[in-house]
Amino acid sequence: MGLAISFWLLAAAAVGSALAVVLLRNVFRAALLLISCFFAIAGLFVTLGADFLAMVQVLVYVGAIAVLLLLAIMLTREAATGSPFSRWRIGGAIASVALLAAMIAVFRATPWKVADQSVVLKPTTAELGARLLTPESGFVLPFEIASVLLLAAVLGAIVLVKEK
Amino acid sequence: MIWALLGPELLLAIFALAVILLDLAVKQKGVLAVFSIVGLLGSIGASLALWGTNGIALNNMLVIDKYALFFDVLFAAAAILVILASTDYVEKLKGFQGEYYALILLATTGMMFMASTRELVSIYISLELTSISLYILAGFLKDAKSTEAGLKYLLLGSVSSAVLVYGMALVFGTTGGTHLGVIWNAVKGLNGIADNPTLIMGIVFLVAGFGFKIATVPFQMWVPDVYEGAPTPVTAYLSVASKAAGFAVILRVFFEAFGRAPWLSQSWGMLFAILAAITMTVGNVVAINQTNIKRLLAYSSIAHAGYIMMGLAAVGLMESQLALARSGILFYLAGYGLTNLGAFIAIIAISNNTGSDLIDDYKGMVRRAPVLSLGLAFTLISLTGLPPTAGFVAKIYLFNAALQSGLLWLVIVGVLNSVISAYYYLRVVKTMYLGEPASTERLSSSGPLRVALTASCFGVLFLGVLPNTVIQVTEAIKFLVS
Amino acid sequence: MEFNFILSTIVFLPAVGAIIIALGRGLSPRGIKLAAALFTLLAFGLSLSAYFQFDSAPGGPLFQFREAASWLPSINSQYHLGVDGLSLPLVVLTTFLGIISVLISWKINLRPREYFAWLLLLETGILGVFTSLDLLLFFLFWEVELIPMYMLISIWGSGRKEYSATKFVVYTIFGSALMLVGMLALYASAGTFDIEALAGMNLATVHTVIPLAAIFFLIFMAFAIKLPVFPFHTWLPDAHTDAPTAVSVILAGVLLKMGGYGMIRISVTLFPTVAKEWAPLLVILAVGSVLYGAAVTLRQTDLKKLIAYSSVSHMGYVLLGIFALTQVSLTGAALQMVSHGVVTGLLFAMVGVVYDHSHLRDLSKLGGLARQMPVAAVVFSIAGMASLGLPGTSGFVAEFVTFVGSFTSKAFDGIQFYTILGVVGIAVTAGYILWMLQRTFYGPPQEKFAGVLDAGGVEKVAIFSFVVAIMLLGVYPAVVTGVLGAGIAPVVRLLGG
Repeated sequence: MGLAISFWLLAAAAVGSALAVVLLRNVFRAALLLISCFFAIAGLFVTLGADFLAMVQVLVYVGAIAVLLLLAIMLTREAATGSPFSRWRIGGAIASVALLAAMIAVFRATPWKVADQSVVLKPTTAELGARLLTPESGFVLPFEIASVLLLAAVLGAIVLVKEK
Repeated sequence: MIWALLGPELLLAIFALAVILLDLAVKQKGVLAVFSIVGLLGSIGASLALWGTNGIALNNMLVIDKYALFFDVLFAAAAILVILASTDYVEKLKGFQGEYYALILLATTGMMFMASTRELVSIYISLELTSISLYILAGFLKDAKSTEAGLKYLLLGSVSSAVLVYGMALVFGTTGGTHLGVIWNAVKGLNGIADNPTLIMGIVFLVAGFGFKIATVPFQMWVPDVYEGAPTPVTAYLSVASKAAGFAVILRVFFEAFGRAPWLSQSWGMLFAILAAITMTVGNVVAINQTNIKRLLAYSSIAHAGYIMMGLAAVGLMESQLALARSGILFYLAGYGLTNLGAFIAIIAISNNTGSDLIDDYKGMVRRAPVLSLGLAFTLISLTGLPPTAGFVAKIYLFNAALQSGLLWLVIVGVLNSVISAYYYLRVVKTMYLGEPASTERLSSSGPLRVALTASCFGVLFLGVLPNTVIQVTEAIKFLVS
Repeated sequence: MEFNFILSTIVFLPAVGAIIIALGRGLSPRGIKLAAALFTLLAFGLSLSAYFQFDSAPGGPLFQFREAASWLPSINSQYHLGVDGLSLPLVVLTTFLGIISVLISWKINLRPREYFAWLLLLETGILGVFTSLDLLLFFLFWEVELIPMYMLISIWGSGRKEYSATKFVVYTIFGSALMLVGMLALYASAGTFDIEALAGMNLATVHTVIPLAAIFFLIFMAFAIKLPVFPFHTWLPDAHTDAPTAVSVILAGVLLKMGGYGMIRISVTLFPTVAKEWAPLLVILAVGSVLYGAAVTLRQTDLKKLIAYSSVSHMGYVLLGIFALTQVSLTGAALQMVSHGVVTGLLFAMVGVVYDHSHLRDLSKLGGLARQMPVAAVVFSIAGMASLGLPGTSGFVAEFVTFVGSFTSKAFDGIQFYTILGVVGIAVTAGYILWMLQRTFYGPPQEKFAGVLDAGGVEKVAIFSFVVAIMLLGVYPAVVTGVLGAGIAPVVRLLGG
């Protein structure tokens, strides 16, 4: 029961702060609220028993990405206010609400399978590592492609940032 | 065994690294292009050596079948032509030449992985590998237009990736697996939309995410700006290889995971049929008013995505037509790829001289560059679908597949669209052949460009006159399904 | 397997010539013309030899000189060539006009390399249409002709040449788009593109994806545009008027015949039941074309436009003969195609001669040229007489046979009435032809034409060849009627009467 309450509280916090990120005109505040959104999502992972993911969420998103974002905002002149709403805002709002309504309807109509509640929660880190790196039963292929992806990203950073 | 199966991709990744290192060592930057081409040729050789093997490895995620190898060869061949066409362009870049070639090789690697995996996470990561390399390449020139193209591509591409991942998550959530075989096992047990509407929503998101890659309406808005602003060789690569990779993934995913339950496959088949009709019509109609040749070809590539989607619709609506429709799609991708690369190579050669991509500046081009003009005219004729070119056979072959699946209305739409397209393709031909040239100065073109143009034009002619040599190959291509 | 490549050689000789001319950088303009003449002459000679080898005896093989090679086996389409009594005369006509058009173009000095390359490529496309026995191959050649025609009209034409060229392409490509849908629908129903196989399988009993009549009209539209049938004819006067002389000759001489040929070879042969059912409508269209074409021709003052509109009228006879659906009327229609090819070819060639020397095509300004151009006047008059169907010329034989065949037809009640209406067209033809000749050549000699020369050497060779052909067909029509009849007989058998 307590788990359910905290899940919904965190979910509301995540959605609320995400909305604020989009709607606030002050970029700095938006960035802070983005961090709060990330935290809420990390909390969601905790309520779902995904301890490793929760930790990575905090480390990567809050620790690295959000900090980088703040740094970029501070270093950019006249970035205090974001761009004004575009002329599509009414259409965009209608489309978003319609999509949301459709998704709620669809999710409610789906007969979801419910996981076995009696399973004892245990740390997932070792399990995840095994699942990622065992050639016979794990996700080795995407893991290896990701390393090539990083190479491409590094090259991109060099090309785009470095002056000739 | 794994190493052998990964050969084509692995070789390219290694060459990508080696090109960067070589860049530090050599003064003569032409060596880099040669070196990259050697790598690509090696990769083609590896693919051909594997031809006929049906290998599955790495927890059933990597699948090397003829389907994957066909695309491996297609991507590598396209990359070779693009590199040949880039040499002049890259010389103007001064720095970062090694990075340019390395990124092309990495993008190719990503596409190859896209074609040879049947697991959603791997598909997503390899798609991102391709996309990120292409974002950078689109912005490579760093001038205003190129930067805008790169940024626009990045932003819209990220949104589409998010949609794609969300769709994958929904599919995973409702079927319990990311492997296409596992998904199919779950789908098999369903009898209709009411059994699992969330899965349908996931599939719709997948269509949207992949639709961005192949540039179907309504996910096409990035195409004209990116195509116009990106360096022209990169545009050529985008329009051919990136699109082909999108189709490679869509066909495999939709057939293996969702294609064998008629209630489901007919829904997405009809969805693709409707999207195809809208896409080709929008692409062709908007292309009519373009004044910039790169934008014109951008809209034309949207229209061609529409034609190719007819093949997807045919697969969805009638599973028994899989062999014919798949072969139609593969042949069309090969023919369209060669044709479009040829057209872009001619454009690169012309704009290297004139510095302009405006169709008005092509006036009287036949007297300044007779061979280039003939090559461009020939490829445009192929894009229209007139004989004796690859485009003609490809269209007839694919239209026939659609007709066999009962899509007569779509074939009529397709044929009428070809009529519309004739108008704007031939307008370019007309401009080149009829107008008075702005100057009488002859255009010069470099050796690699001429080789690339000749190769693609002869390829287009060959596929148009003796198509059976290639159709025999594409008809023998099957993918492994679990 | 047959190892006889005479048809492929005929079809592709001009294309080979085109490639040699286009790529042979060392050729002088004169060399280009000689090469073009050589290749077209070779093709003409070969087609004549094929004509004399052709076995038109009743009971002989229908299609001869056949070649078959696998082309696209996965959709059951073959590289399948062959000629019968219907197509062989048209092949000869095409190669004949091929060499003639090269001769007529001897004075072309604007970008000659491209001009002759396109001209020869055009010939290959037309020859391919007449020799294909596979629908897809037929369609392929049908489309090949498009680009060369576009280039020839829009670069070497006159007047509103780009407009006319574009109009030509738009009409043609629209028609061929419909034809493609029809052919694919036919394939989806019957499983083959082979014309012989389709003709042998009685499509009325085959389950088709769309109604058979719909397929018929999808394909028929392309032919109707090409022939042209009123009201799809509006591209023709523009294209003719603005095309260079040689292209007008080819256009009137054989390009239009692709439509008539397609109607007999495909529309009537493959869909005999539909053809019978719809014959009344099509005959009415035919008479409409005849009368409308003739009436509009009367009002023309431009020489070229006048002859162009007269083609609409004359092609109406072809349509009439075809859909009267008898042995005699169909033979007449085929004969009319051959005859019109030669006669109108000559008329356009003569307009070219007159225009080249006087720089005028306007009837209100021409006049009295007979004194300066006696040879031209005589030849032009012969062509005119043949066009209005004077006995002794090919036009008479063709029109007479067509009318007799249509009048005795039992295709539907009242066809006699329409035939008589069609005959009225002849009277109008006599009117405008005589009026045109009179306005051009007769009357008082005019000062401004004082220095005008008569037809030159190369031109004489070309126009006298035409005259010989017209006279030969007029005096001894059996040179083609036997062959044509051998081609028509099986078609009539399919019609069941």
